[in-house]
Amino acid sequence: MGLKCLAQHYLKSTGPSFILTKKNKPLRRRTASLSKMEFVNPEGLRLDGRRPMEMRQLRAEIGVVSKADGSAVFEMGNTKVIAAVYGPREVQNRSQQSNDEALVRCEYSMANFSTGDRMRKPKGDRRSTEISMVIRQTMEACILTHLMPRSQIDIFVQVLQADGGTRSACINAATLALADAGIPMTDIVTSCSAGFLNGTPLLDLNYVEDSAGGPDVTVGILPKLDKVTLLQMDSKLQMETFETVMQLATEGCKAVASYIREVLLENTKQLESRRGV
Amino acid sequence: MEQRFANSWRMTVNEKKFIETALLSDLRTDGRGPFDYRNLTIQFGSEDGSSEVQLGQTRVMGFVTSQLVQPYRDRPNEGTLAIFTEFSPMADPSFEVGRPGESAVELGRIVDRGLRESKAIDTESLCVIAGKWVWSVRIDLHILDNGGNLIDAANIAALAALLTFRRPECTLGGEDGQEVIMHPPEVREPLPLIVHHLPIAVTFAFIGNQSIVIIDPSHLEEAVMGGKLTATLNTNGDVCAIQKAGGEGVLQSVVMQCLRIASVKAADITGKIKKAVELYKTSRDLKKIKRHPDSVNISNKLKDMEKPKLKLEKTSGSQSDDMEVESHSSKKDEHKCKAVIGGTSSWDPYSKVADADELKESLASQDVETPDQKMDVTPHEKQQLNVIDESLRDADPSPSLSVAAEAGEVKNKAESLSDAVKPKHKRKKKNLSNSDGS
Amino acid sequence: MELKPSIPSSSLIDQHVFPGDVVLDLSKITSQTIKLGGGLRQDGDLISVMKGGVLRFSKPNKYWVETSQKRYVPSAGDNVLGIVVDARSDNFFVDIKGPTLAFLPVLAFEGGTRRNIPKFEMGTLLYVRVVKADTGMNPELSCMDASGKAAEYGPLKEGFMFETSTGLSRTLLSSPTCPVLETLGKKIAFEIAVGLNGRVWVNSSTPSIVVLVSNTIIQTASMSPTQQKIRVESLLQKMQ
Repeated sequence: MGLKCLAQHYLKSTGPSFILTKKNKPLRRRTASLSKMEFVNPEGLRLDGRRPMEMRQLRAEIGVVSKADGSAVFEMGNTKVIAAVYGPREVQNRSQQSNDEALVRCEYSMANFSTGDRMRKPKGDRRSTEISMVIRQTMEACILTHLMPRSQIDIFVQVLQADGGTRSACINAATLALADAGIPMTDIVTSCSAGFLNGTPLLDLNYVEDSAGGPDVTVGILPKLDKVTLLQMDSKLQMETFETVMQLATEGCKAVASYIREVLLENTKQLESRRGV
Repeated sequence: MEQRFANSWRMTVNEKKFIETALLSDLRTDGRGPFDYRNLTIQFGSEDGSSEVQLGQTRVMGFVTSQLVQPYRDRPNEGTLAIFTEFSPMADPSFEVGRPGESAVELGRIVDRGLRESKAIDTESLCVIAGKWVWSVRIDLHILDNGGNLIDAANIAALAALLTFRRPECTLGGEDGQEVIMHPPEVREPLPLIVHHLPIAVTFAFIGNQSIVIIDPSHLEEAVMGGKLTATLNTNGDVCAIQKAGGEGVLQSVVMQCLRIASVKAADITGKIKKAVELYKTSRDLKKIKRHPDSVNISNKLKDMEKPKLKLEKTSGSQSDDMEVESHSSKKDEHKCKAVIGGTSSWDPYSKVADADELKESLASQDVETPDQKMDVTPHEKQQLNVIDESLRDADPSPSLSVAAEAGEVKNKAESLSDAVKPKHKRKKKNLSNSDGS
Repeated sequence: MELKPSIPSSSLIDQHVFPGDVVLDLSKITSQTIKLGGGLRQDGDLISVMKGGVLRFSKPNKYWVETSQKRYVPSAGDNVLGIVVDARSDNFFVDIKGPTLAFLPVLAFEGGTRRNIPKFEMGTLLYVRVVKADTGMNPELSCMDASGKAAEYGPLKEGFMFETSTGLSRTLLSSPTCPVLETLGKKIAFEIAVGLNGRVWVNSSTPSIVVLVSNTIIQTASMSPTQQKIRVESLLQKMQ
């Protein structure tokens, strides 16, 4: 009896305060038990009508932010990301200045209206801190930082519409923006994701497929050097399967790379004609 | 002096160059080969769910706690798992006070993803009332010393702490059956978490122009490396998480090579963790027996004293019931002892003294009033008692029907036995049998 | 303070002392000047200890406490290993593991003039001499000996540097040569530079010897001379 009372007291004392805090917590992204859903129908088509190895429509536009030194919008299907690059410019925080290389900074954020649930996303939560870091380190790998010592390059990326694969879209947008800003790079970085659902490897997951709880492999490559710089994976996957999924994602990256190349070429041509060369 | 020179750890050009050139001949500054892991020691605190992992010079402490909370709205029947990291400025001058830095966030996320996304912990078993109360498990990871490769060490610390953690058992009660009754550990044995598999993080670093791969980078090597890759695998050959956050690009074949090496190391580390946890659990079980040191003490003392004069018999006669129960406990020691000898070196000296025959002798000499059948509660019967206890608890629905039937049969007998014992000892007995079960 | 413990100073020499211990009572000593080294402090008529360690005495009148700390307390005349942190027009800023950065004047090199200022990459390892170490200002270094010669001072190329305690570096520098270095030196050829600030630099023809030497020094730090000898010999045998 005494125990029971104790337990009740315990619940009473902690209960209400928790309910209060809970209300402010955002809904968990992953929806429960979608695992039984059919993601690839017998005809071999996915929910949005794509084939398993088909990418979503890509669209890119360069020079969308007039104030920035370089900027781009990148779309993968319904995922839309904007990136702006400032720099190389004077280092703001002198204590971070480096004498032999440029300082690269990156800030990733998600617009409040980017997802279905109208939640106010707290800035600087763990997820966006991590993605900021991942994008920064990925871009650092291709920027020739030692050519611009004592300076700073800022990359801002914002997700305008989130429909899966935001990380990849951000990296692709950042690459374009860096190229637009004329920052020296060894190679471009392109990224694409792939998953594994219903026993089929799927390229470029959308939101529904991404939130199914299956594996999600995001790959970023340097296409000319054919090297993997970014590799992230969640969930459980057999090693052999992982290899095929990674292979698929890499193929996706290469496709993105050829598209980005085209866009850059087009942009350069336009610049040429404007200058009247 | 300018602030930017303050208190940062500096590396010389010489060290940088040396690490790279030495690696060309497969040598590392601490004498290891490229794929040698550092010495791993796992220790446990006095409380359940606390661990301290030492990997070379790196030291990480893991601590698991739990609390009843409301579940997330979209997952009403699942408990929650949260990981918090603390990079204390004590461990490394580059760690700053206040908000967790990027590396702290990354570490937490990698450990979190490895555990959560691969469903290593059974969260559904943490549910008490769907939609109302679930257990929220919190893992705190404290970095005590940074000697490099914090991620692997922290991951091992988290796993070791989770494996030894036990939450208090709670059942539903009250008029509407919706009240949660918590049972303190003294009353009911706390329950361990259900861990399906152990996702082990193994970190590789890529150093130099040729991107030489090394495993388990030290503090120095981390300062030189161009990039790193953390692969989280379990012994079933599943890849649970991979993190290569930018940095030096590597060929796909190298990634696969890393994964293969990682799976070997993961098996290695899993073995070490399991062994350490096993040792801890046996010592914990032994400790539990020590909870009643008085009983063994008394019987021993009595035995010693009785030999010279049997006068004591009368005074101890009133305690006979007590003694009866206690004899079980010491007998239990006896059996545990046999099972454990050779396993652990730290053995309770008391129980070694309590020889079974001697005990019987002493009991026979003092327990004049107790009937014979009582004396003969053999371990076999005791086990049956355990079965009953467990089936009575009904918290665990696992016992099969046949066992239950058998238990029912013995039940009558057992009741008659336990009738003879004062009710207040029931509790004690239960404890003992529970301890057997765990 | 009224209670003056009258401990004869001789009894404490080469003994372990702890902060607060009184080693000398000046009122008992007449007509003699004494010199105090690190770890000792004058408190009125009393000389008391500030750091835990061993009290040392050298004839005729020097007292100091020998400690083994990780941080270095700059003192004039010490040879140390420093890392170049920054370069200014007049000075290089050098980290010598002390409480503050040390200055190395750009002219403090053999035959140094405004025209031939050496260029150091950030992170260059230097073997330098502490010239001035006064409280309240940054210590000053020099890459010349007292007669203005370079005398081995200057940047150290290649090799490997590791940090230990000041105590260990003092043992390594002690004469007769400490058993570790002696035994190692009989079998293999290597170069070593030991700074009193607890930094040790090792170089050799092959990296394996450097790794061996540096790890041996670190591992044998807390051993007795005989143990050290045995350990080093077994290590050397393993290598061959």
